[in-house]
Amino acid sequence: MSELPKYVVDRKFEAPREMVWRAWTEPELLARWYGPGVETIIHKFDLRADGEWLNEMKRGEYSMLSRAVFTEVSPPERLAWRQYSSTDRNWQSIPNPQMPDWPRIMLTTVTFSEQGGVTNVRLEWAPYEATEMEVACFAGAVANLGKGWESGFALMDQLFAELQA
Amino acid sequence: MKQIGYAKASPNLDAIFSALADPTRRAILVRLAEGEASVGEIAAPFSMSQPAISKHLKVLERAGLIVRGVDEQRRPAKLQADAMGVAVEWLAEFEQFWDGSFDQLDSVLMQMKKSERGETGNE
Repeated sequence: MSELPKYVVDRKFEAPREMVWRAWTEPELLARWYGPGVETIIHKFDLRADGEWLNEMKRGEYSMLSRAVFTEVSPPERLAWRQYSSTDRNWQSIPNPQMPDWPRIMLTTVTFSEQGGVTNVRLEWAPYEATEMEVACFAGAVANLGKGWESGFALMDQLFAELQA
Repeated sequence: MKQIGYAKASPNLDAIFSALADPTRRAILVRLAEGEASVGEIAAPFSMSQPAISKHLKVLERAGLIVRGVDEQRRPAKLQADAMGVAVEWLAEFEQFWDGSFDQLDSVLMQMKKSERGETGNE
């Protein structure tokens, strides 16, 4: 199989790696930051390979449910899980009618490395066991999200400015 | 995270993403930002045949990114801002999920550091 498109983000945190690892892997800490501006409720968090993470994010009356299964738990270096895009109330995966070709399962890999008390978190996001259509859909998004995205975004700003002129 | 985007997503989003994924099609959109143009006018700066450009225009049209005029001869293509707005908004929201979460993680870590120091001080 050719190389799959992935989305990569790096971010540095002013804290030792063990502490950052705890913030990612202790559900009461994780719930405090995962999901911006939403109330995050962690229904299950079984931190081991093949263990489940059942997550709910509430914004007003709207709830977003997701089910993840850990694929790698290697403290304090690497954490990975595959996540089902949308689930119903019984945590069963449901296809999204608005984005039928978006990958049904995504693999998130988080790598923690420390240098002088500063921890770098690398987040990688890629389709998991995806169909060709799903890979194409994701590749389209990454083309705009990834390296070229900054310029793509500027380009569109310019487009809109010109359209409104 | 993507579910946040779904709430506002257009049913056309897949088509928009595939349409925007191609550099030629993005270049066509930039060209059309200058004003409407016929297939011939669009094809001129590209080393591509008019039929090839027509195919790209069809993809853009299906994604709702452009509209074609009714003039049988020229069928000038014109940008349609709404569809692109949906994609831009959705993608921006997606990136903001991690950006926003990481900002919150920063303050959680700060609090963890503080309480660690506090506990040591109390002993």
